[in-house]
Amino acid sequence: MKAETQPPTPPDCRQTRDRMQDYLDQTLPKRESLAVFLHVRECGECSAQLATLQSLYEWLDGLPPLEAPADFDARVLAAVPYAAYRAMAPLRSPRVPVLLEHESLPAWVRSRSVRSVGLFAAAAVLAAAATGHAGGAAAWTVAGIGCSPELSVRLQSLSRRIYVATVQRSIPR
Amino acid sequence: MFDRNEDLKLVRRCKRGEEAAFAELLGRYRNAVYGLCFRMTRRAEDARDLAQEVFIKVFTLLDRFDETYAFSSWIFRIATNHCIDHLRRNRMRLLSLDGCTGPDGEPMEMPLPDNGPGPDRLLERSEAMARLEEVVADLPPHYKVIILLRHDQDLSYEDIAVVLDLPLGTVKARIHRARAMIQQMLQARSYEI
Repeated sequence: MKAETQPPTPPDCRQTRDRMQDYLDQTLPKRESLAVFLHVRECGECSAQLATLQSLYEWLDGLPPLEAPADFDARVLAAVPYAAYRAMAPLRSPRVPVLLEHESLPAWVRSRSVRSVGLFAAAAVLAAAATGHAGGAAAWTVAGIGCSPELSVRLQSLSRRIYVATVQRSIPR
Repeated sequence: MFDRNEDLKLVRRCKRGEEAAFAELLGRYRNAVYGLCFRMTRRAEDARDLAQEVFIKVFTLLDRFDETYAFSSWIFRIATNHCIDHLRRNRMRLLSLDGCTGPDGEPMEMPLPDNGPGPDRLLERSEAMARLEEVVADLPPHYKVIILLRHDQDLSYEDIAVVLDLPLGTVKARIHRARAMIQQMLQARSYEI
């Protein structure tokens, strides 16, 4: 009995079939894509093969979306360890030098009322100096002392931010 | 498909301990992750447990999320690895044809290959889809996952390379091979789609 042999695939067809998936994925360079297009237009077998493959793509793209069970969110949210996560927050935040910790400044310096009164006093003295009711080194000294609590807090906060940003950038990903 | 910037905002809020942000992330990825787990395992109960474990893992590893990548790539990587580990652990059990359940948890019949031509076969779209799902389910895990990421989750080759931590060339080769396998399996089972 004579074995059935298939005629060899012409080189053009073989090349086209090798490129078909890239052609459908639109990842082929323009020239190669055009070559596939032109070949398929002329070759019945390759055209049929492309149609089959295209149909498979469409079916695969059309796999119906699946929905999680109705109680899924509730189960996940109940299982997520929020409390432990929050409790470990200090361990996650980058450590900063003691001088940049909020607590390194005395509580009275950080207090809102002291800062506000200081700023108000500084503004009043500067206003008096501007209108000629006060002047000289004494006025500038009072203004400097008045501003100092606010300036200390702001300066510390800014330094802390810069430090944290620098540390985070240096962490290898 | 997934908004990278919105995801990042939610992740940052999550890191600050906002429960609502995590719930929102869960809402965005719930069906995608569950769908991937279900199509990888074909068992509703396993899919539910796996997807739940994926979200818990995401939450606990959130601090290690590298913001230079898309959150979607990261969560799919966790889900993919988790499913493949699960399949590896349960290889023997999954070879059984009994006990498969549908996404609704109801027992599902797994049709055996039927080589004889039947007049009614494959006429309905839903039947054809069921057969395609069956063929996809029978792919080896590494091919199945790549097909699902590409066609079900609509990820680009580049994103899949990130998810699977593979070179782009390997991703392409594997997905081409997977599609060829599907075609061969459909042909071997005389399934037409």
